[in-house]
Amino acid sequence: MYFAASELHISIAAEPLFTVFGFPVTNSLLTGFIGSTLTVLILVYVALMVRSGRYNRFVGLVQWVFEGLLNQIKNIIPDTKLARKITPLAVTIFFVVLINYWFSILPGVDAIRIDGVPVIRSLTADLNFTLAIAIVSIVAVQIYAVRYLGAFGNASRYFRNPFKDPIGAFEGVLELVGEFSRAVALSLRLFGNAFAGEVLLVITAFLSGYFASLSLPVFMVFELFIGFIQAYVFFVLTLIFTALAVSHHGPESQTAHSPSVRRSPKAVPARNGR
Amino acid sequence: MTFLTHFASETTTEPGLFGALGIDWRLLVLQLVAFLILVVILGKFVYPWLMKQVDERQANIEAAAEAATAAQKAAADSQEKTAEQLDAARKEAAEIVNTAKLEAAEMARRSEEKARKTAERIAADAHAQIDKDIAAARTALYNDTLELVATATTKIVGSELTKNIDQARIKKAVEESK
Repeated sequence: MYFAASELHISIAAEPLFTVFGFPVTNSLLTGFIGSTLTVLILVYVALMVRSGRYNRFVGLVQWVFEGLLNQIKNIIPDTKLARKITPLAVTIFFVVLINYWFSILPGVDAIRIDGVPVIRSLTADLNFTLAIAIVSIVAVQIYAVRYLGAFGNASRYFRNPFKDPIGAFEGVLELVGEFSRAVALSLRLFGNAFAGEVLLVITAFLSGYFASLSLPVFMVFELFIGFIQAYVFFVLTLIFTALAVSHHGPESQTAHSPSVRRSPKAVPARNGR
Repeated sequence: MTFLTHFASETTTEPGLFGALGIDWRLLVLQLVAFLILVVILGKFVYPWLMKQVDERQANIEAAAEAATAAQKAAADSQEKTAEQLDAARKEAAEIVNTAKLEAAEMARRSEEKARKTAERIAADAHAQIDKDIAAARTALYNDTLELVATATTKIVGSELTKNIDQARIKKAVEESK
């Protein structure tokens, strides 16, 4: 008998299925390729349908989500030009993370194996991917900050004269460390949730045995919800980090972290968004 | 608990922290580049259409909102104009009523005056007629009396006097009797 997780196989790292010219093709890479292709196909299909003026419920659903994301971007980033620029990155993060996360509930996540290695593993349960999009997100934030504040303006967020402004200099160091911690937090949060979700499903299937058909759907629905939440969190944090980066205006903006009502009437989002 | 041992054995075989976490720099760079390509392709060929459609819908909504605002303003203006016209009509009606009342009062006064004058004239005519009638009646009575006296005198005297003589005598007697 080879039913579901009759033999548990948990690996924190994605496992190679085969190699192409010496390059290891892991199970998460294979699943991610399928997931990302599906994402592109869905979005291209919706764009073509919108372009030709043909609509159906699925197109309407994707449009509704897309419009919601756009509104969220406009709300978090008041600068319209910057909001337009960051839209492709933020929206792609949302859709890619969402669809790839939902791949973790596909039947056969742990059951289909080649040489004992599961073939299907969600791309979001691979730290390489989560770290890659976290790096892209943080680097993009830095690029927008440099464009918005200038190279020196952006550097002044981190490097200040310790003799003139010792507290500001210390704060700059903390800010620099914060940038790295944000990238690590972004990647580990998504990876931890996706990996834990897969493990949860595998263990539920393992413990339920023949009743897995009854117990798994509950956790699958839960994972669908968590997948949406994680995609949305990654999307929103990318926007908040961008908004925070471009909201600094030189050394006098030291109060930007705790703005007074008189100096900054606009609401400032949470500093690290966590 | 076999999976725990399996997990432990795998992690211990990987070199370093990154290896234990499954980080492979080649895979990391590959996925980073693949994701960037995905962002560029979607940003260039897919999102513009979706954003254009959203912008158009937003523009339509804004246009509809503006049209609704304009319609509301027009309705408010129309209502204001209607109220102004109603006020003007009420004022005009009040003026007309006042004028009508004044004219009616004037007409009534004139009619009354005319009626009074007519009544006075009729009364005066009636008085004049009555005076005439009285005078005529008196004259007739006087003449009748004269005739009656003449007749009576003739009967008493026994001879018929001429009319002129009788009348002269009667007249004289009457004057004496006064």
